[in-house]
Order: sequence, then C-alpha cells, then structure tokens
Amino acid sequence: MSFAGSGWVPQPKGYAVSYLVPSEFVTKMIDAGEAKILMSTRDTLVRAYMAGAILALAAWFAVTINVNTGQPLVGAILFPVGFCMLSLFGFDLLTGVFVLSPLAWLDKRPGVTMGGVLRNWGLVFVGNFAGALTVAFLMAFVTTFGFTQPPDKVGTTIGNIGEARTLGYAAHGAMGMVTLFLRGALCNWMVSTGVVGAMISTTVPGKVIAMWMPIFVFFYMVFEHSVVNMFLFPSGLMLHAPFSISDYFIWNEIPTVLGNMVGGLAFTGLTLYATHARTAPKRSVALKHAA
Amino acid sequence: MPAGLSISIGQCSEAGRKSANQDFYGALIPEGPLLGLKGVAIVLADGISTSEVGADASETAVKSFLTDYYCTPDSWSVKTSAQRVIAAVNSWMHAQNRPMRLLEDKDRGYVCTLSALVIKSTTAHIFHVGDGRICRVAGRTLEQLTEDHRVIVSSAESYLGRALGINSQIEIDYRSLPVEPGDLFILATDGVHEHVTPRFIAEVVAETPDLDGAARRIVEEAYRQGSSDNLTVQIIRVDAVPRGEAAEVVAHASELPPPPLLEARAEFEGYRIVRELHASSRSHIYLATDEQDGARVAIKIPSIDRRGDPAYMQRFRMEEWVARRINSAHVLRARESSRKRNYAYLVTEFVDGQTLAQWMVDNPRPGLHKVRDIIGQIAKGLQAFHRLEMLHQDLTPANVMIDVTGTAKIIDFGSTSIAGIEGDGAAADRTDIAGSIQYTAPEYFLGEGGTQASDIFSLGVIAYQMLTGRLPYGTAVAKLRTRAQLRKLRYASAVDDHRELPGWVDAVLRKAVHPDPARRYGELSEFLFDLRQPDKAALGIPAAPLLQRNPLVFWQATSALLAAIVVGLLIYLGLRR
Repeated sequence: MSFAGSGWVPQPKGYAVSYLVPSEFVTKMIDAGEAKILMSTRDTLVRAYMAGAILALAAWFAVTINVNTGQPLVGAILFPVGFCMLSLFGFDLLTGVFVLSPLAWLDKRPGVTMGGVLRNWGLVFVGNFAGALTVAFLMAFVTTFGFTQPPDKVGTTIGNIGEARTLGYAAHGAMGMVTLFLRGALCNWMVSTGVVGAMISTTVPGKVIAMWMPIFVFFYMVFEHSVVNMFLFPSGLMLHAPFSISDYFIWNEIPTVLGNMVGGLAFTGLTLYATHARTAPKRSVALKHAA
Repeated sequence: MPAGLSISIGQCSEAGRKSANQDFYGALIPEGPLLGLKGVAIVLADGISTSEVGADASETAVKSFLTDYYCTPDSWSVKTSAQRVIAAVNSWMHAQNRPMRLLEDKDRGYVCTLSALVIKSTTAHIFHVGDGRICRVAGRTLEQLTEDHRVIVSSAESYLGRALGINSQIEIDYRSLPVEPGDLFILATDGVHEHVTPRFIAEVVAETPDLDGAARRIVEEAYRQGSSDNLTVQIIRVDAVPRGEAAEVVAHASELPPPPLLEARAEFEGYRIVRELHASSRSHIYLATDEQDGARVAIKIPSIDRRGDPAYMQRFRMEEWVARRINSAHVLRARESSRKRNYAYLVTEFVDGQTLAQWMVDNPRPGLHKVRDIIGQIAKGLQAFHRLEMLHQDLTPANVMIDVTGTAKIIDFGSTSIAGIEGDGAAADRTDIAGSIQYTAPEYFLGEGGTQASDIFSLGVIAYQMLTGRLPYGTAVAKLRTRAQLRKLRYASAVDDHRELPGWVDAVLRKAVHPDPARRYGELSEFLFDLRQPDKAALGIPAAPLLQRNPLVFWQATSALLAAIVVGLLIYLGLRR
C-alpha cells in the first residue's frame, strides 16, 4: 500500500500563530462594523454607556496619577487600562465606530445604509456622553465630599484642564479651531489603531499589548479624544471652572468629534480597507474559458 | 508489500417460512488506501415483520450505512463516523414515519434493527441497535458481543426494546476489541440465533472452509429447528491483520491539525497552489491543481482567527462529510482523494464563476425569469439537503456561486445542522456570524431552533433582494430579541416606484419570508410552483380562521367570554335579590 503525494510538508511560518494576517483582521473589522450597525438600539446604548463610563474612570485615574506623581508619563503609561477593559468587554466608543461602521457601508453589506451608519454614530455618542457624565458627577461629588467643600487637588487640576483646552483654543481664534481639529484627527489615528490592535491577535495578552501602545501615545501627546473630553469638561463645569457650556461645545467637543471622525477614517479605516480588503480578489473571479 | 488487512466473508439469507425476506445484509471490502483509512464494514438489518415497508427499512439502513460511512472524512474516528451515520439514518427513517402518522403505531413504518461490524487495522468496532446479534467464535462456543434489546414481558411474549426509526434520537451500543488473525465473527438475526445452538454454529464454522457454505448450513439448520422468521447469517474470518503502526495510533488519538497558510506555487499534500481565491477571518480558499491528474480544485483551510475555536473546527470537519453526502448539481462537490492527509482541509471542485452577491451587483435589474431560474437552482440544492434531513442554516448570496454556464451552486456548509447528530452548536452562535445575519430567519434570533421553513426564509430574502435590491424587513430581523418585536415586523412590499413587478409575485415573496415559520411555505416545491403561477388566491390570502390558526387562543377567548357571562349573571341575580 503506498500513498501518492509529495514528501514536502509546508512548515508554519515564523510568526506566532496568534497574529492574524491583514486579510483576516480587515474582514473582521468590516464584520464588526456590520454587526454594530445591525445591533439593536438597546444593546448599542448599553455598550456605549459602559464604554463612556469606563474610559472616564480611566481618565480620572490617570489625572490622579499625574497630580500625585507630577509626572504625566506615568499617567499616560497607565491610562490604557481603561481602553483595554472596555474593548475586551465588547463596549463601543464613538472613536471606534467612526472607523468601523463606514467600512460595512463601503463593502456594500446588504441592508447597511448611510442612515444606519449615522444612527449608530448618534446612539453611540448619546451612550458615551451619558456614561461619561455619570462618572463626571461621581467624581465631582467624591472630590468635594458632596459639594460641601472646595475640590481637592485632582478636582482643581481637572477644572484647570477644562479651562486651558477651551478658552486656550479660543484665544487663538480660527487657528485655535484648526489646531483643535487636527489634535482630534491625530488622536483618533492612534485610538483607532488601538481598536484594530484588538483584532490582530487571538489571545488576550496579544490584544492588550497591541491596544496599549497607541493609546499610551495619544494620552501622553495630549491629543483631543471626544469621549475623554465628555468627562473632563462636564466635571470641570460641575466644579465651577471658569468656562461655559457653549465654550465647551464650540471650542472643544464639536471640533474634536469632527477631527476624530476624519482622523480615524483617513489614517486607519480607509487605508487598511483600501490596501487589504480591496486587493483581495474576493468578490469576483475573472471569467475565463473553462479549461 | 507488508501484510495488510485481509478478510473473508460468507453470507446467507432466506425468507424461511415467511412470504418476504425483510432482512437485509451487506458488506464492503474497499480497495486500496480506503481499506487502511476506513476498514471493512459488515452490516445486518432486520425490518420489523408487522410493517409493509420493513424490507425497505432494512435495505435503506444497510445501504445508507455502507455509502455514508465511506463518505465520512478521514479525520473522523471509526466510532464518530459510524455513530453519526447511524444517527443520520435513524433521523431519516423517523422523519419518513412522521407524515405517515405511524409514530403512535410502532409496529408499522420504517423500523428496523441494525448491527454493524467495522474492522479497521487491528481493531473491530461494533455498533448495535435491536435484537440482532454479533458473536465471536471462542473455541466450541460463541462469545456474544452484543446485548439483545428485547424487552421480555412473559415467557411467551417479548418485544423489541430499541430500533432505528422509533425515536428522533438513538442510543447506539458501541464496543471495540482487538482482532487477531483467525478470529471469526458471526452476525445473525433473531430468526437464526434463537433456534441454533452456539455450539452448532461454532462447529460448522470450524469444519467448513467455505464460509458461504457454512452460512447456508446454519440457515438450513435454523429452518429445520422450526424458525418462523427470516433467516440471515454472516460469517467473517480475519485472515491477516496489518502490523499496528505507531503513526496509526497517534492519528487516532488526535484529530488532524489545521495547515499553515498557503502561498501561490507552493506544493501542498500533492496539490500545487495556483493562487488565493478568497481570504477572510472565516477561511482561506485557494485554487490548486492536483499533481496526479492535473484537475483544478479549490482547497479551503480554516482561518488563523478561528482555528483555536473547537466548535468552529468541529463544523469545519463536518463540512467535508456534508459535501460528500450530497450529490446534486447545485451543491459544491467534495473531491474524493485516497491520499493520506496530514492536515485538516477541504478539497472541492473548482467553480469558475462569481458569487451571487457579485452577480447582483453586476445585474441590478434582472428579469423575473432570470430570478426564477437562479432561485429554482438554489432551491434544488437546498432540497438535496432537506431530503437528507439536513438544514443549511446559512444561505446567503455570498454562499452561492454562479459559474460560467449559469449554474448556481451552494458552496458553504459550515453551519449545516444534521438531524440526529448531537452537539452541533451551529445554531447557537448564529448571531456571531456576521455577513449572513441579514438572511437568517427570525426564529434563530429568538433562540428557537430552525426548520426547513428557516431555509425557505433565507431563499425568500435572496429572491426579494434580487428583484428589488433591498431586504424585506431592512435590518430589523437581526435586532429581534423578543416575540413582541417579532409581531411588529413590517414587510416592505417588493413593488415600489422603481420596479415593475406583478402583484402576485409580491404576495408569494411575502409568504416565503413571513416572520412566523408556520405561515411560510411548508415545502420548497410549493414556493417554486407559486413563483411560476399567478395564483389568484395568493392575491388576497384570506386569513385562516382563529380556531385553525391558534386553537389555544380560540378556546381561551371562548372560556373567558363564558366566564364573563357567568359572572354577569351572578351579579344580576345578586342585585335582584
């Protein structure tokens, strides 16, 4: 009895098996985007609420470290714990869905419309905001013993951040606005890289390492993250920092959201999609004569 | 040439004192490598005598076992393969009994016993249901290897305790034992083993070198002893066994690992990879040529992302069996290969064409006849699944290929559920499978199992999408979690400002994708027929009366009304006093 066949057996390549090749993680991104658009309203809101809350808690944690150590690097190194938690638990940030949802639309997934993408963004925005506001209130309450005394050092620092990053931009007029927008774009370039990072590995340590790096970069560089800001600024306002709600929206939140959207799509979503999803001869096979 | 497995078989079957022979027996000694991979299978079935289709039942059981067993993937163990095959046969027979309303009457319909012996390498595997018997000759008597599933009521009366076709699930006795050259196994139905002494059988087998002659002598003896039943006996003699090789034992211990990713021009298990056809987080598919005969094939391997998931790998291995079991022009055919394998992968015919999803992009406004043609072809493929009591469960335009001749083929069976086979979690994680949930029937989202009507739903959605470019419920189906939401689903008419469609076609589509599986088409053929015929009744489908639609609600409402009248009367009487 003899078996025909070659003696040569391909060996696994050098990379660890837990790393996914681009053609796999890009289809995962598109699938994830589609799943988010098809998700029920309740689930979308719950997941967005929890994501906003966890990220806000991490921001509070990082500011506390910075105040206590006086070294922003330490806070930045530890801030990614929040992002890793919410990502592993399957919660959604506005910055993440900015990148993922449109891919499903571009890929012409059935039933996915631009309206569905916008609905998803709107719901995640509302959920993130509610979650961040909840933590902002808890922070304001805790650092002032229920508003019975002036805020402690952490509370004061958060108030100062809010002032510097609204009125500070306003002082530069139009160029301040552009700076804000660009900082938002740079931010989501990094954050969405972290979102993809969670998909390029099949193991939890692999995911955490891949997510950690870009989040650390964005926090240390003080880029503007729309969801972190949903916590920093409202809590500043609750602690009577000297800027108004309209300052917050016009001179921070709205340009940041737009910057996040453009940055994430331009630098991460569309580039990966264009180079890894569209190159694969996935959809059509050249029609030749059948041999 | 090393000594391989060598087996001699002698068989004899007679109707005896009965008018018809409802026993059926079969044996298969495959040629070449299949002998090493699958071994020799010997099967014996006894149809119950009270049924007119007893003979059909036993014949079906034996033939299905022998065909399906040799189709199972090489990566499965003998035990897994045979048990799954028997479970599938049982489900099929059970399903045949269902419409005949024979379930209450267990003495009729497709019911039979089954005893199977598979000898592979140095091991004999025994599978047994019912009151047949498998024995091994031990000196001058017989060692009974199976237990008779016979419930004894009194000394004169007893009945079959377990058989194929009675219940939807079946418990199969299994045992395995090592074989030695010179071992003799006897398979016999109750017509024989109840009337001939073990000693007689052992002696006859020992002194008659011609096994067929020995079988005949045993049958004749049983007849002389007054057996009133059909008489069948099979004798198996093991002439030589291969030396148990270490590699063989290891291959049994664990299933084959997934292969590494392949590259163009690489050589892989006797195939030369031409190029990659598809790559995603679910699987990688390559075009390859078989180096032996130059045939073009498609090789599918698991993705890196999912290979750590045991449920996915189980489904991946199951896919090969599904592809081999089904023989339809509209279902992708697995390629038979007798070469030894080192990895888990699937080799199928290569379909030169495009997916239906791409076809829909290229043909945004197909004519009704073209849609009918394609839907009809997919339906034929689906019918092949349904005939074998399997549900596809994942029918989407991306899972249908249209080749250059215009033939539609279903290509992906990763989610197929096979009745009777436990532990396939395919339906459970439906919501995790992106890319197809738009076509998934609502009952899956409510956590209910699927039926054939669920596949009809998917086909209906595809037909709707081909004609309109939209989905009948948008993305609302995937968001379903409760029954209340199900009732709120609103069907968007296929007739709109952009398309000209006959009204009756819309009515047909509406019925095919009805949220309630009970109100969809019961059969694919019915759907296809209606898609061709302008049915006047379909234009205004009158709702069935409540009593018929939901008897429980009808009687509850009636009782509530009566109770209200009684209470009203009591109050009235109380006030008058």
